[in-house]
Amino acid sequence: MKKRIPYIIGLCIVVILLIFPFIYTGSNYEYLMHLWIMAFFYAILASSWSFLGGYAGQFSFGHMAFMAIGAYSSGLFANYVYLSSAPTRFCSGFKLGNVFMLFLDPIGVTTKKLTCLDLAKQAWPTDVVVSQPSVFWGILLGIILGGVFGLLVGALVLRLRAAYLALFTIGFSEILRAAISAEISITRGQAGLRVKPLFPDGLTLFGKAYTAVDKIPPYFVMLFLLLLCLAVMLWLVHSRFGLFIRSLREDEEVAATLGVNTVRYKILVFVISSMMAAAGGAVNAHYICIVTPNMLIILQMSIVIAMAVIGGLENIISAAIGAIIISFSLEFLRNDFTIGSLTIDMSIWRLVFFGLLLMLTLRFWQNGLIQPLIFKFSRLARKKQSISKHRIPEIDLTDQGSKEENEK
Amino acid sequence: MIKLEINNIKKTFGGLKVLKGLTFQVEGPELLGLIGPNGAGKTTLVNILGGLIKPTSGTVYLNGRRIDPFPPYIIARAGIGRTFQVTRALNRMTVLENLYVPALAKNPGANKNDFKKSAMEILEFLTIEHLRDEYAKVLSGGQRKLLEMGRLFMLNPDIMILDEPFAGVHPRLREIIFQYIQRANGNGKGVIIISHDMDTIFKLSKRLLVLHNGYLIADDIPEVVKEQPAVIEAYLSRDEDGE
Repeated sequence: MKKRIPYIIGLCIVVILLIFPFIYTGSNYEYLMHLWIMAFFYAILASSWSFLGGYAGQFSFGHMAFMAIGAYSSGLFANYVYLSSAPTRFCSGFKLGNVFMLFLDPIGVTTKKLTCLDLAKQAWPTDVVVSQPSVFWGILLGIILGGVFGLLVGALVLRLRAAYLALFTIGFSEILRAAISAEISITRGQAGLRVKPLFPDGLTLFGKAYTAVDKIPPYFVMLFLLLLCLAVMLWLVHSRFGLFIRSLREDEEVAATLGVNTVRYKILVFVISSMMAAAGGAVNAHYICIVTPNMLIILQMSIVIAMAVIGGLENIISAAIGAIIISFSLEFLRNDFTIGSLTIDMSIWRLVFFGLLLMLTLRFWQNGLIQPLIFKFSRLARKKQSISKHRIPEIDLTDQGSKEENEK
Repeated sequence: MIKLEINNIKKTFGGLKVLKGLTFQVEGPELLGLIGPNGAGKTTLVNILGGLIKPTSGTVYLNGRRIDPFPPYIIARAGIGRTFQVTRALNRMTVLENLYVPALAKNPGANKNDFKKSAMEILEFLTIEHLRDEYAKVLSGGQRKLLEMGRLFMLNPDIMILDEPFAGVHPRLREIIFQYIQRANGNGKGVIIISHDMDTIFKLSKRLLVLHNGYLIADDIPEVVKEQPAVIEAYLSRDEDGE
């Protein structure tokens, strides 16, 4: 029974999260829903990073870059890709079945000129239908591209470990940030790329209509994405895959001499975690409706790593719980407080407290704050024998004993 | 029939020639000792056989198949398993998980339950079955040696290379390792033991190879090898490289 306690608690939490948007009626409903959505987003990032760093021992600082690849891929897809029932010479594109896929010219930041699609519309007869592919195709593209870049980076860092791997991935992330910032005409640089909502035309669920800005649809999309990612990772870590990536983390050479194809598993773990980060980034982009290169700054990556470390690095569930708790804590710590004549500006100081918590965790609780609780419950059920009580049996040490063994 | 062929293996690191053309064969379930002073090239040879480093020249064949160009995991699956001079357990994995890794890696379609029984039998033989759910990091040095050997049994290779299996081990555990080696050899495995423990290696091995300065200076039964002047010279005198 004790062994089931974590599962029962987990199930209760999931049920509460599923019904929360329908039972909570506080005045800060919208704000709280936003916090939950962002917490789920960070939980996806922290748990997938824990999968990469905690389980496989690949301490990458490029996780936010994969998230940004998902976000920008989906955002650019939503901004630049259109479908029309007739061809045009104004936009580049190709025929896709019965329709034409068109790509807009770079939109820039300040340009007021007509887009190629505007020009095409002027030239087309009125019966030409123009539409945009579903947002979910963009998200899918983001996930695939996240995986492709994960594959490339995974292949490039095969021989890199520890600090070298960290520096390489920081470099990758910074290059991506610089490239996005530089390509202003396409990405709008620091001005940010506006992105359509997840459900631009609203959504009707169980007879109730939701607008594009309602919080309930993105809440459930992000929650289900988190649950899906956790389910996939849990399945993997309890399979042979999990065993092999943990052996990679412990000692790559030993794992290889035991028959583990270390190259394959190292690349696979990069691809899977990158796809999850990209999925989170893509969905989040369509939730907040704008993506900027600032999502790639090292502080953001540090926050995700700190969430995983504080929750518990070597357990994806504790990393996810840690991310949710830290997300809320960082938000609630925004409230300034006064001691005598001194007013503490918590919008700045909250990160100091957060950093202190991280340092204390690393110093005193290397397994994080959540993981030991989960571990305690799961170990309680195991029948344990004391090592000291065990006595090594007497063995016949003579040559005769060896001969008998040979005869057997 | 197990056959390991090492043909004119040479290895240089920068300007340092570590192995200078080694040739020997292991045929059938041989119990072979490999000795030599520090810096003789024993560990380099083992690393080449296990695929962790590539030879500068020369070839290695296992059962007629050339294996030296392949990565370690293919060589392990092909039939060469090894332990390390300094024990390398998968520390933050349990003893049972340590044993499952080679078993599952070698058998792609299998799952943990398929090997639970055999893993427990091996742990019982090695007298560490009570530690099955403990992390490898809590094991003593000797127990970690036993765990490494248990992993080898799970990998079930044709050739087992044991690098210093008796180093720093309690006498009682040493006898378990002794029995382990004889059991493996009795099961038809070729066993190569590298050790500085002369008494044990002379007692255990049926054929002894001696490496010195990258050369194979002796290859015979232990009784003959220990009388050879070159071997006595290698062990008693300071070599020309000043080792």
